[in-house]
Amino acid sequence: MAMTQQRNFLIQIPPFNQLPQPLLNELADSMDVVYFPQKTLIEVSTSISENYLYLLIKGKVAEIQNEEITSRYSVRGFFGDTAILGKNEIQAHYEVQEEAIAYKLPAKLFLKAFEDNHEFSHYFNSSIVEKLNRIHEAIQSATSTEVMMDTVCSAPLQNYVSLPPDATLHHAAQQMVKHRTDACIVEFDDCDDCDDCDDSNNSEIGIVTSTDILKLMANNEPDIASLRLGGLANKPVQTVHEFDYLFNALLKMTRFQIDRLVVRGDEGYLGFLHQKDLMSLFANQSGLVLLKVDQAKTVSDLVVLGEQIDGLIGNLHHKGIKTHYIAKLVNELHRKMINKLATLLLPKHLLEKVCVFVMGSEGRSEQVIRTDQDNALIYSDGLTEIELEEVAQFSQTFIATLQQMGFPACPGNIMLSNAYWRMSQTDFAQKVKDWFANPSEENFMYAAIFFDAEVVFGREEWLKRLKQILLDEKEKYSNFLRHFAVSVLRFKTPVGFFGGLVAESEAGHEVIDIKKGGIFSIVHGVRCYALEAGIEKTNTHWRIKALMDAGVFDKEFGIELGETLNFLNTLRLESMLKQLVEGVELPDNKIRLSELSHMQQDLLKQSFVVVEGFKKRINHHFALDGLM
Amino acid sequence: MVNGTLNSITAWLKSSKLNRLKRQLKDPNYQFLFDVEPGVFVCFDCETTGLDKKNDRIITLSAIKIMGNEIQTSQSLNLVIKQQEAISADSIAIHQIRNLDVENSETLYEDEFEAIKNFLHFIKGATLVGYYLEFDVAMVNKVIKPQLGIRLPNPQIEVSGMYYEHAMQKYRRSCIEPNIDLGFDHILKKLNIPNIGQHDAFSDALMTALIFVKLQQDS
Repeated sequence: MAMTQQRNFLIQIPPFNQLPQPLLNELADSMDVVYFPQKTLIEVSTSISENYLYLLIKGKVAEIQNEEITSRYSVRGFFGDTAILGKNEIQAHYEVQEEAIAYKLPAKLFLKAFEDNHEFSHYFNSSIVEKLNRIHEAIQSATSTEVMMDTVCSAPLQNYVSLPPDATLHHAAQQMVKHRTDACIVEFDDCDDCDDCDDSNNSEIGIVTSTDILKLMANNEPDIASLRLGGLANKPVQTVHEFDYLFNALLKMTRFQIDRLVVRGDEGYLGFLHQKDLMSLFANQSGLVLLKVDQAKTVSDLVVLGEQIDGLIGNLHHKGIKTHYIAKLVNELHRKMINKLATLLLPKHLLEKVCVFVMGSEGRSEQVIRTDQDNALIYSDGLTEIELEEVAQFSQTFIATLQQMGFPACPGNIMLSNAYWRMSQTDFAQKVKDWFANPSEENFMYAAIFFDAEVVFGREEWLKRLKQILLDEKEKYSNFLRHFAVSVLRFKTPVGFFGGLVAESEAGHEVIDIKKGGIFSIVHGVRCYALEAGIEKTNTHWRIKALMDAGVFDKEFGIELGETLNFLNTLRLESMLKQLVEGVELPDNKIRLSELSHMQQDLLKQSFVVVEGFKKRINHHFALDGLM
Repeated sequence: MVNGTLNSITAWLKSSKLNRLKRQLKDPNYQFLFDVEPGVFVCFDCETTGLDKKNDRIITLSAIKIMGNEIQTSQSLNLVIKQQEAISADSIAIHQIRNLDVENSETLYEDEFEAIKNFLHFIKGATLVGYYLEFDVAMVNKVIKPQLGIRLPNPQIEVSGMYYEHAMQKYRRSCIEPNIDLGFDHILKKLNIPNIGQHDAFSDALMTALIFVKLQQDS
């Protein structure tokens, strides 16, 4: 009874949580509590009998090797494992930076667990990717209440009904009533007439819904009952795999503006997932925000939604959802909002004549907290003076409203309110060529963020054409990529000679700029490879995947790079959320080391090692040595 | 000079009291209680059926040894005593020990003196530490007095008293008569000690031990 807290404490800490209960209890019951005033030096002895693993209940402790701080530990962090396992090449000692209370666990018992339990010992020997995945699993299993992350098959599905194309509507209606569903799949036998058959876009099936029947009746169509399904079926039908995440299902519904998805399994179709059933699961949860964007009727509706998104991000993050997925969801929302805003503000006759796209982090779907905006507008050639004036007018209102919605102005003025980023198709094409003809740091940057661009409103092919020009120009200027890649090496990776983190001191806190230190190098490095290989995808994770598929990165390296980026982005998101709570208007990319757990610091160090390796690879691949 | 005399008088009173107790000890096997062990502290706390020293009884008792800045939770003593009468609903609300828990406990003692014997062997000549220790000591005395003929002779340290001294230091040169809150939670908060768990004898003993260790460093 009395020792329950020690057990409860230990069970919260990976990898101890993986120990079988009796062993965990034995460890927990052998722990003593020890108090360290500030500035105490904790010596770790090399003899097993006098050695301990320390687990912090409270306070902060720094690990010091050769007078360099190599790690910092705070609540629930533990230290001493490297000494017990004899991994320290250099003798480390520990200094209490903030009054600490710790449990101390005799080394003998730690070693017992290490020898008895494979999963436990594996933790201390495993690679960075494995450790990262384990963190996510741990958080997710602890809070599996987020419906978003459940699989489609866990939602209530409507029964599957299918009929051949020559069946009558009357027959279909009977079947729908009999199976209590409001849709019917029409299965066409041959699949010859479709050449773009992929798993999410099946054109060999069509769908007829109760809404279709209602519409036919409302239009007073004659002899509805005997109509053949083949002529009525709607195509293409959007499907979702039964093991896909529910949030992906919701994204699909909103992207295609549909109410239901056909659920498919490995063997065939299983049923229908209806939006109203999905929403009843989400009840008050994150999914609702998605729908509200669609329902927004005025600019002020959108402004309110902007605020709700920040809350959503915090919620999803606390539930242990990978930052990459949060980014995907949030960017989808942002784009829908921007699209809606353009639709609301543009004069009707201009709707077909402009294309708005986002660039940089927004284009890559990697901006989670709104810290910046980069966007541009292309209009069709030959607009009249009056129309040009209208576009200019629209641009000013558009940007002003985006700011109200919480998208801060771009400090570099890369916004469509700036005439440089608002041009006709022909002029824009010329501008892209100019970037190559007049290489400068600024033009390289423009090319970089433009390469990440994605359309949020209007004609996609306009942007596609411009990007093709970018790729063609790159071929023409053979030296371009080398100079383009140099900036990967611009910032020093913040690791010291002994593998410790190199922090700057800022207002009493030790901080690391995680964007300069790692994220930028990975994002820009991957961008260089993607540009070289002519990859269309803009998101860094998708680019990495495409580069793996193309054989440019081997699988292991690609996964490691992706997970590293995800981890760094997660730390950045955590820090930004904290800054927002503290009332900082525009959060920066700096993370405070003392706020990281031991595990996070450990991973951060390993992440920077991955970044360093990637930089070396780029240096070699693009032959940058001569340029620096 | 006056102080010195006073101190020696107090010391004399103390030792004569101890000698009297020693003479009253019925069972010589418990002589060890009088062998003071300097530097050894035991922090202990009881949960009882109520706050009436006369009529209420000990349900659980936890004792933890303190050596320097180390609190030896791994060797703590945790006793549970079987109750003749059902535990009153009021005290269940305070420390959440239900009759069921008492029945199921592993270290359950039928007889309260049998249980307290373990406690005596655990503390030996250690200095006792506690929060409102007087009450806990009285509860133990009630059990041992009929059997051994004595009350606990061990030196005692009251952490709320230590905290009072600590808090008063700030006001040493001021003429304000400060109103110092001696509530347990308040002391924990002021000393920055985490509230480790719910109110059971073990948690309370542990947190009291942390208060003691921290205040001892302080002086």
